[in-house]
Amino acid sequence: MEEMRLQGGGTAAAAPIIEFRGVSKTYPTGTHALEDVNIRITGGEFVFIVGSSGAGKSTFMKLIMREEKANTGIIRVNGFNLTTMPRKEVPMLRRTMGIVFQDFRLIPTMNVFQNVAFAMHVVGASDRDVRREVSRALSKVGLGNKARSMPAQLSGGEQQRVGLARALVNSPDLIIADEPTGNVDPNMSYEIVSLLTEINKRGTTVLMVTHDHNLVRDFQHRVIMLERGKIVADNAGGSFQ
Amino acid sequence: MKFSSMRYLAGEGVKNAWVNRLMTIASVGVLVACMVIIGLAILISENVNKAVGNLEQQNVVMAYMKDYNWALYGGGSDADTSSGTDSSASDASQDTASDSEEAEAGTSAESSEGSESTESTTDDTDKADENGIKPSDYVIHNDDEAKALCDEIAKIDNVAAVEYITSEEGLESVKESMIEGQESYFTFLDDEYGNPMSGAAKITMTDMSKFDETIDKIMELDGVDTIQSQSDLADKIAAIKRGVGIAGFWIIAILMVISLVIVSNTIRVTMYNRKLEISIMKAVGATDSFVRIPFVVEGMLIGLVSALIAEGLLYFCYRVATETIIATLGTTDIVYYSDVAWWLLLVFIGIGIFAGVLGSVIMISKYLRREGSEFAAI
Repeated sequence: MEEMRLQGGGTAAAAPIIEFRGVSKTYPTGTHALEDVNIRITGGEFVFIVGSSGAGKSTFMKLIMREEKANTGIIRVNGFNLTTMPRKEVPMLRRTMGIVFQDFRLIPTMNVFQNVAFAMHVVGASDRDVRREVSRALSKVGLGNKARSMPAQLSGGEQQRVGLARALVNSPDLIIADEPTGNVDPNMSYEIVSLLTEINKRGTTVLMVTHDHNLVRDFQHRVIMLERGKIVADNAGGSFQ
Repeated sequence: MKFSSMRYLAGEGVKNAWVNRLMTIASVGVLVACMVIIGLAILISENVNKAVGNLEQQNVVMAYMKDYNWALYGGGSDADTSSGTDSSASDASQDTASDSEEAEAGTSAESSEGSESTESTTDDTDKADENGIKPSDYVIHNDDEAKALCDEIAKIDNVAAVEYITSEEGLESVKESMIEGQESYFTFLDDEYGNPMSGAAKITMTDMSKFDETIDKIMELDGVDTIQSQSDLADKIAAIKRGVGIAGFWIIAILMVISLVIVSNTIRVTMYNRKLEISIMKAVGATDSFVRIPFVVEGMLIGLVSALIAEGLLYFCYRVATETIIATLGTTDIVYYSDVAWWLLLVFIGIGIFAGVLGSVIMISKYLRREGSEFAAI
């Protein structure tokens, strides 16, 4: 565990929270998803990952979550060495990150409160902590008054904010957002990215996959562009065109 | 795992069973049917065993002893060669009288010739009586020795009970079993030559399948002359018990596998219905056991509910069946449900929990290892 969690999962500004060194991933079907990728993302950064379909964005995210293993290279996330980490340690890695999905992934039979609380139950939080932290997370995303609503009663933007609250509730070091604005209108997209930016300002590293060039341009964060499994651009300050 | 997590997961399991209530009801129905059939197989087996047990109790073995009457009827003359099964004390030699006379004459001669020799001192305690029978001619001299032999027999493995039957009791018993008029022959023998029946040990065995080896051990004891038994019946009883045991085992084994498949299938459906939930659980850091526990609880719940329903249903069906049997056949020699109710319930609960836990563990483990994607929620 000491070996794997090399830097203790801290969020010190200069410490790399995600590090890819010479990473390649080829699926059993023969598809080369990533080739010799080298990335270093330090704690507290906000990074947009952009690229067309099939560029390797999903594989990149799967490797960070350790849903897939790289064929070659070294991956370190939140102090865990994903290359040597046994499968049983994967839950520990994931508890250090919050994940926001494009399709919200809310459980339709649970209300807003239960959907967010769900993430806390998984890590074994007490009922008292669940009540306190879920209310706090819902307030952060502006849904304090919707705790009892069911997902079907919410707009797309509200549902994504519930997803964001769920990602935030365990106070992760890193938030991974997979096209969080893909299913919401432009105004709500700006709101969601604003929320993520606010969270980032409090020290949480944010990694967001997006196709929306306007958001990338307007929010002026670091941009990494993938094409055919390779990094073709890595520009700080949203200078991506 | 923390108590709050356990409580949460147990609640989730119960909730799953309710949310998927149609599948739950279908699974409970099939499991109940399996359990009732298993219960019936057990009850039938128990009833057959009871009936066979009664037959076993009746299938007693008589071990006749080498006592005075045995010697009187010529047993001593060929004591070493007369042992064997299926022979009877009633086949005593008709030459007993002449043999006895010869023996008496010989003994008298020896006695008068060497009165000062060592041998004659020994012979003083081994004098022939009026029938020419010396104490050394037979092994069992009195009731105490007969009872001691019975105690020896009782120590043999597989001997359930031993009862000492005196020669007088034996004679009475034989007379009673005779048709009218025939018993006069035994009365004549008794009056003229003495009781033809030897004392005997009435033996009941525990397991008729070990009949032959038990008989061999009894025959090895000093003082046992012949064994009278119904070895054919013993073989049949053993065969029936063996057959019922094998049939019961296979019925239970097959239905156990069916139960396992049924619960596994329900859990599989539940699992695919909840793949979104599982993917989110895994994405936010749930361990495999955290994902697994609600399914295990659901499986256990299905098993437990099925066990309780099966117990009630079987009680009702068996009661109706036994009441009908008692009313029509008039026999009360059956296994009553109250005698087996608790252990049948334990068997059902055991089957239910076994099928529920194993079925869900197999299914969810397979899913977690080989299928599903946290990222794509498929």
